[in-house]
Amino acid sequence: MAPSALSAADVRSVLARAMESTAVLAPVRRGRSSFAFQWIADPAEAVFSYPRTILPPKQALLPPREDLFVFQRAPEPAVRPPAAPDPITLFGVHPCDLAAIGQLDWAMQERHGICDPNYAARRAHTTIIGLECLPDEYCFCPSVGTAHTRAGADLFLTPVGEEFVAEALTEKGEALLASAGEKRAPSAEARDTWEHWAEDKESRVSRRLKAQPKELPDLLEAEYESEVWEATAARCYSCGTCTSVCPTCFCFDVEDVVEVGLASGARRRQYDSCQFLEFASVAGGHNFRGERPDRVRHRWFRKFVHLNREYGDAFCVGCGRCTKFCTADIGLVEVLNSIVEASE
Amino acid sequence: MSNPYLPDIATIQRVKPETYDTTSFTLKFDDPGVWERFRFRPGQFVEISVFGAGEAPFCISSSAHGREDFDITVRRLGRVTQALHAMGEGAQVGVRGPLGNSFPLDEVAGKHVLFVGGGLGLAPLRPQILEVYRQRDKFQSITVLYGARTPDDLIYRDELEQWQNLEGMRCLLTVDVGGDGWTGNVGVVGSLLSEVKFDVGQAVVFVCGPPIMIRFVVRDLVAMGFGEDDIISTLERHMRCGIGKCNHCIHGDKYICLDGPVFTYRQMKAMMELEP
Repeated sequence: MAPSALSAADVRSVLARAMESTAVLAPVRRGRSSFAFQWIADPAEAVFSYPRTILPPKQALLPPREDLFVFQRAPEPAVRPPAAPDPITLFGVHPCDLAAIGQLDWAMQERHGICDPNYAARRAHTTIIGLECLPDEYCFCPSVGTAHTRAGADLFLTPVGEEFVAEALTEKGEALLASAGEKRAPSAEARDTWEHWAEDKESRVSRRLKAQPKELPDLLEAEYESEVWEATAARCYSCGTCTSVCPTCFCFDVEDVVEVGLASGARRRQYDSCQFLEFASVAGGHNFRGERPDRVRHRWFRKFVHLNREYGDAFCVGCGRCTKFCTADIGLVEVLNSIVEASE
Repeated sequence: MSNPYLPDIATIQRVKPETYDTTSFTLKFDDPGVWERFRFRPGQFVEISVFGAGEAPFCISSSAHGREDFDITVRRLGRVTQALHAMGEGAQVGVRGPLGNSFPLDEVAGKHVLFVGGGLGLAPLRPQILEVYRQRDKFQSITVLYGARTPDDLIYRDELEQWQNLEGMRCLLTVDVGGDGWTGNVGVVGSLLSEVKFDVGQAVVFVCGPPIMIRFVVRDLVAMGFGEDDIISTLERHMRCGIGKCNHCIHGDKYICLDGPVFTYRQMKAMMELEP
């Protein structure tokens, strides 16, 4: 499908159309330099250019808290699955976050042949409008092959000057594009910028992983006893910021929440973090990762060894969030690179 | 598609105190149709819900044969187990399962079968002990070694007495610390291994108990000549979801809830952050 041109006003009318039938989650300016995905009430709230949000759009598919089911306790126990989710549109999803949604799709819906019904229900009712971006000093998408991801988006927009080059990637995307009115082709100049976006983007990235993702499982396993884990742990606070801002982390804890009156309640899951002390503790008090270096190593091994082997790619999309928002300034790529260097 | 997080409702048929802090519960599904697809194998576990308190994993501790209900044996330790202990016959709980893999049976036919249990570790072994005994013609011999901290910590006391007098099964007990009225062995369960006289080259051993006990017993078993594939154990972790999504029970690339809970010593040795 040939790309077409949209003005900013056209994009807002696409958003307005989407808002007629779905809730829309879009990047919104929150402070001088911070942005967040929020459910918008007006297309004008959405921004078209932002470096990264603190929390990824994952929250729309795997919310920080959600009910797995509701139950009644009296007069006798009964359970009921959660209500079907309402349709949603995610707007302004950068290529790295699109890649992350692809990884979550695999983890939650396909992995081990077991499908998470809550995730699947939300995902099936999700329309995604992707948005091209330019990297900042925290991005390392080219190192993990996600800089140019389109898969997962129904419609993908590249901002070129005052305009956007729009690619409809699915029928849903076609329909969205059609809602902006008569199609017009991008100008030759816009098309030229659009065609060279990928090279330009790659050339701006300074943070680089010194190994291919496929090399990492063996490299890290050989450095299982490396001093790097101790050194990193000596700086880490086990605060869990890295896992809560990560677009591909999906660990959760489950607990019951009871309504006042005790007659009913919900089984609720919420994000958990492998960096928390209690994560690997069992009844009786034993903790299999009771030491901080074990938990630090666990995070890197999980993303770059075990899930990497199983999924066939690093379970990391290079968004830079864990590094930018780390309370101890620990750099994910720096840790990997020191492992790579140690093994040389 | 059925929702793997939704439990089926079961009613507590029987509450049998085992020790001062451990009780067995017999559970039966309210909908008899559920039992038809439940059909567990020895070694598998279930997630039990006490609505309002939460959910926790328990290995099934009863025979997989000839019953239409099942047992779990529960030590009062945390939120869910305390709530369970407060429940009586007729009370209802939620059940998800059966989950996880199971102990090998046909694969170990023709061998001497040894069970080594410590404390509550006898609970997951019990379905396998009963199944091996039921099919005892297929095995060369059956030996159960069971130890607990004190005589008051021994679970299944009535059944242990029965097992000690069964034709076709040898059952030896020990306690770490004896006491008034205890005339049996005193010492850790590993001390009973000297009673093993069969050819360990033709044997398989199922071992379960506290981590420290497993570590010492496995060391002794290896020294006796048991092969790494012939030492089989079952691991307990806090499996929250039981279906490989929540990631609480992972050791490296292994999920205790999906790849286990039953593992050979060879597999356990290769697992990250586990020193059996």
